[in-house]
Formats: sequence, structure tokens, C-alpha cells
Amino acid sequence: MAEVDLKAIQRKVTAGASYRKMIAAAEAGQPICLASAGIPNEVMHAMGVYPVYPESLAAISAGIGKAGVFFDEARTRGLTNTICSYTRCGLGISWTKQTPFGPIPPPNIAVTDVNMCCLHLTWWAHIEDHLKLPTCYMDMPATDAPDAPEYIDYYENQVLEMVRFIETNTPCRLDMDKLRASVKHSDLAGYYWTKMMELRRNRPSPISFRALAGQILPLVTALGEPDTSDYYEALYYQYAQDAKEGKTPAHGGEKYRLIWNGIPIWHHLQLIDYFQEKGANFVWEPYTSLTWGNKTSSGRLDLDRPFHTLAEKYTNILSNKPIARRFEYFDRAIRDYAVDGLVMFSNRSCRPMSIGQHQLGQLIKERHDDLPILIFEGDQADPDGFSWDDARTRIDGFIEVLEGRKT
Amino acid sequence: MIAQFKALFDARHEKARELKQQGTKIIACFYALPPKELVHAAGMLPVQMVEDRDSKYEARSEFLPYLCGMSKNLDGQIGAGVFDYVDGIMVSTVCDTNRHVLDIWAQQKTFPHAWLVRAPAKNDEGAVNYFTKELKRLAHELGTVSGTRVTDEGLRRSIALFNENRSLFRQFYEARVRAGIPAEDAVYVFASALTTPVEEHNALMKTLLSSLPSDRPNVEPKLMLCALNIPMSVDVIRLAEKYGATVVTDDFTHNARYGSTEIVADGDPFRALARGYLRSVPAPGLYSFEDRAAGIRAAMERAGATGMIYLTQLYCDAYAFEYAVLKERFERWKLPHLRLDAEATPGSIEQLNVRVQSFIESLL
Repeated sequence: MAEVDLKAIQRKVTAGASYRKMIAAAEAGQPICLASAGIPNEVMHAMGVYPVYPESLAAISAGIGKAGVFFDEARTRGLTNTICSYTRCGLGISWTKQTPFGPIPPPNIAVTDVNMCCLHLTWWAHIEDHLKLPTCYMDMPATDAPDAPEYIDYYENQVLEMVRFIETNTPCRLDMDKLRASVKHSDLAGYYWTKMMELRRNRPSPISFRALAGQILPLVTALGEPDTSDYYEALYYQYAQDAKEGKTPAHGGEKYRLIWNGIPIWHHLQLIDYFQEKGANFVWEPYTSLTWGNKTSSGRLDLDRPFHTLAEKYTNILSNKPIARRFEYFDRAIRDYAVDGLVMFSNRSCRPMSIGQHQLGQLIKERHDDLPILIFEGDQADPDGFSWDDARTRIDGFIEVLEGRKT
Repeated sequence: MIAQFKALFDARHEKARELKQQGTKIIACFYALPPKELVHAAGMLPVQMVEDRDSKYEARSEFLPYLCGMSKNLDGQIGAGVFDYVDGIMVSTVCDTNRHVLDIWAQQKTFPHAWLVRAPAKNDEGAVNYFTKELKRLAHELGTVSGTRVTDEGLRRSIALFNENRSLFRQFYEARVRAGIPAEDAVYVFASALTTPVEEHNALMKTLLSSLPSDRPNVEPKLMLCALNIPMSVDVIRLAEKYGATVVTDDFTHNARYGSTEIVADGDPFRALARGYLRSVPAPGLYSFEDRAAGIRAAMERAGATGMIYLTQLYCDAYAFEYAVLKERFERWKLPHLRLDAEATPGSIEQLNVRVQSFIESLL
């Protein structure tokens, strides 16, 4: 690959850049869509619709300590703290029409999936009801067999329905050439992302989970854009070079290789830094390796069957698989990535990711020589009740256990 | 006569064990959305798992602390062997908790069989087609377990029986106010329907309806109770009565299911069942908020209720969220209501004392 300026490319895909693109899109008359994470944004990009993701904005707001105002708004509207913090913060953003970067333009439509979590359905029904927005529900029945052909076919029809919905409710029309181009850029982004994840098999792994928590944003919100695929291509080559040079984010060299199970704790990402300070490095996470990217059986998107390939990708949801199948991914990762320990984030906001963790942990311990597991309980975006001191003490104890196994 | 319903409900486990001994297979349902007609048509007894007041069950559960008390309570009951008669469990999604605790039960092989009902969230033709096929898949698997194949004719008969139950419920709700039926008794009329063979419940309901008194006055103010957890509801009813109010009607997703929409069983009965369940059950997100709010208001008007208590269980995000949406309408309509959020323990309910008292006084 020709030498590229990674920082220059990165500046095009940051959260701030994404915000500025949204404003420019609205000013240019592009429809703005309130979208849930996990819908085929390749199609939106191809059709000229600009998606705004309340969940991503919630994560970003929490990450920079600016979510409080949105939680307050949600509380005054009757949402209790036991409801998912993405939902509360995301609705706070929708109600206040603000983001940490500035105001959001009035949305024209809303689109959601209904199966990644049940709250998406109620959340977008609330948006439809409250904001009176034309809303498209990408139906994905609850399932424990997400790779069943009839299931993927059903969702493929939902993708086609989304196209009809956009054409009915906006001036945008689908151009198949643009869709193929969009899917191609998405495929490339996913391809380079996967190659990045594979670099983490290196000892030491050159990649920091803390950095990935930010770098994953375009993979969630901007698939289809050439900037996104350019970014991941450049990032991959940078990390490949780092791997060659034996770089690692773990201080004093990589002593312990870990798995993180769950969404990052956005309000205390310095938790990951603290692991790194202790010589520990996260080398695999379902969140980075299985939740986003090209999730088809071949690992690539089929440009000749864009709707079907998107259906296969977006129906492949880890939490819809039985616990025994989820274990298989961990089992393989523990061996392939030479893992020393596992950190589970028991996230009170995300029940699909948290329910079954205990049973998963038991399987892992049984099959992997009592692999050490540290469990944090807390919330992905709401810092209420989280104790940094307590977290550090627990990490210290966990590191001692890992060290004990090394000696 | 009405006391028989409570007796039936209280003896639900003994009754199920008795039937099991006689050769009937029992299929447990978590929450009200599994198509019980299908289980019935396969020659088995659908029994809803209902939370128990005894808090020892919650302590016994190994579920995450931030899951609702209902799921923890049921898991504790399972661990204690309360549902030792169950041959299989069927879950249809209403929230992430009820859907994913099934993963745990399936992994642990808690029951010999476990089914997740793969129900769409829409009710258009594509969704009905998909769900019809899903119901046929389930029917085949249920038939394999019971040894009784689900036929079109058998399913039509089962639909007719459950429709009759729904119709009887509608009549009961129309009659209960003028008959002055104590709210606690009314709770057990529907609670027993969740755990009793439909034929037996229908027969009891007919006897009840023919024997109800008329023109028995209710004490003012009259209230409606919207809730989910049965033991918690009984506690709140007692609290309301303690401060001089009468709960004259209620709305549980369970009884709304039985009492709202009958399944139009013409043509393919599987397809009819699919249509009957998709977006027809008043569950959060799976039913129009407008219809749900209007339904509550209409029920209050029919019963002459001047206030409503909306009771949610702590960590039940589905109903906590639903309330936030309905609240906008309740406020717009100036519908006097009190939202209570509590754990399912007597101590937790007792703490609501002052709020219930103040609310009732505000209605006088």
C-alpha cells in the first residue's frame, strides 16, 4: 500500500467529523434518520440518507463525561434508572435535540432493528409515538438459530422493505450501482478490521482495546463510505508495522493476555489503561471480533447479492446463539490468542450480553484449566454506583492471580 | 363459589402433579405470549409459571441481581423443585430477560425440552407467513413429545376452547363491578386460568357467571390496577382497601390476553393462530401504545374508576418503559394515576403505604 497519512484519514472519521458531515448533509437537503445500531447502514449510505445513531452518541457522551444532561432529561420524562442507559441517554439526546458536539438537525425518518435487544422495539416505538416520525421496524424474530436460511431470507425481505420505506418517505431512490459500491466499501472496512483483529495473535499484540473502543466507531456508524474503508486499510498497515516492531500498549512488555467480554465501560475507559499499566493487554473481545464487521460465513460480503449478504451479516447476532455455541468462540479464542485470563463486564444495561455470562464462565473454567475470571458489575454509560478505587483494587488482585499462575 | 378459583390456583402444583401421574404431559410457559392453543392441541397441558410470594425463592436463584424479581423468583422455584412436573418450557419474547433466561435453562437442561417461540414483531403478511411456518414447526416438535399429532381439526377445537375462555372473561369483567366482586377474588379468577385446564376453567366460569349477584355497591373511590406480578398486586389491592378504596377493574397482560381479542379461526387454523398472536397481545413494544392507553382509559370508564394505579416491578424495564410512554397520554387526558415501582417483597410494598394513602385521599 502506498504511504498514507493515517492521521489525515482518521480526522475524516472521528465523532466530531461525523457530526460535521451530518450537519452538512442536512444543509444539503439529505434526509436525517434516527437509526438503531445494527441496521444495514450500507443501504442508507447508498440511498443518500444520513443516519444518526443515538446509541453511539450515548457511548460517546459517556466517554467524554457529557451524558449527565441527557440522563436528567430522561428522568424528568419518567424513565427510571433501571432502564438501559443507552436508551435513557439516547432518548435524552432526541428530546433535547442536542449532542456533545452541538444540536442535531430535525430527523425525517427513523429505522430500527427489533432483535439485537428488545428495547430497540419499545425505544423506537416511543420515538415514533413522541416525535411523530415515519418509522421502519426491521423485523428480526427472536431466535436461537440465527443462521437458519429461512431466517436470513425473512430479514432480506426486511432490507427490501426498508428501501421501500425510504423511497416512500423521502425523495431518495435506490441506485443498485451505488449500493454495490457501498457494500464494497463496507466489505473492505470489515476485511481490514478482521485482519487487524488477527494481528492480535502476535505476541505481543500491538493493539490496545482502549484505542479500539474509539476506532470501532466508523465500523458501527459509517459503513459504505470510502473514508471508512480507507481508514481501516491505513490503520491495518500501521498496526501490521507495529506488530513487526514488537510494539505493545502493555507497560514493560506484554505479560498477560486477556479477553474482555462485554461492551466497554465508556465512562471509565481508563480501566483498560490500568490493566495495561500492569502489563496486561486485551487481545480478543466478542464486541470487536463478533459484534461488528463482516459477519458472514465467508468473512466477506457478496457484492453480487447485496441484499442477501447484508441479511446474513446483520442476522448474525452472538447473543441469539445458545450458550454452548457462544462458548465455542471463546474456546477457540483462548487457544488461538494464547489467553491468560478473562474479564467479564456484567452490564446491568445490556441483558442480552450479560445473561448467561456465569454459565459461560463455568464452561470456560471447566475446559481451560480454571482460567482466572474477573467480573465487574456496572453500567456501560451511566457511572452511577461505579467505584474507581474498588475497580483498581480488584484488578490488582486479579493480576496477582495471573502472576501466581505464571510462576 | 368464587373461592374455588383461589383454591384451584393455590393447589396448582398438586393438580399438575396429579395430571402428570395420569399421563398428561405439562408444558410450562414463561409469561403470557406462548400460543397455549398449540400445546393443548398436542394433547398437553400449558401451565404458566407464576411467581410465588415466598422471597426465599429469589434468594435461591443465581440470576444476576439486576434482573427482575419475577425471573429470579421463578428460577428459585425451579431450583427448589416446585416445577418438578414440567416436561418442557416454552418462551415467547416480551423482554430480554424472559428471552435470555431461557438460554440458561436450555444450557442447564433444566427441563427435558425447551422452545423459544420465534415470533415476529410485525403482523403484515410476510410476518404472518413466517409465524405460520414457525407454529407448524412447533406443532411438529410438540407432537413428537406428546405422541399426539397436531391436526387442523384438533387445533380448531383448542382455539375454540381458549376463545370461549376469552369470551367468558369479557363477560366477567363486564359483570364484576355491579356484582361487587372483591378485587382479590377477581385476581384469582384469572390467575387460575393460567394454571388450570381450559375445559375445567370454562366450566367454572360459566357457573360463576350464572351465580353472580347484581347491584352490590362498591366503596368510593373506585380504582383500576395495572400490573404484572400477581402477589404484588394482591398486596396493593389490600393497601388500597385499607385506605378506603375499591379496585373495581384491573389490567394484567395475562388477563388482557384472555379477555381482549378472540382468534378468528376460519381457514388454516395455524394461520389464524399466527394472526391472533402477532401484535394482538398488549405487551410493551408489541402492541400499539395508543390502543393500550385508550384500552386502560376505556376500562376505567366502563368500571366507573376515577383513579388508576400502575404497578411495576423493580428492574422490569419493559413495563417501566411502557409507563414512560403511556404517562404522556395519561397526563394529557388528566387521568389521575399513581405509578408504583417496587420489589416483590412485603417490606417493599409496605413502604408504598403513604403514597397509596395520599393518592386515594386526592381522589375523594
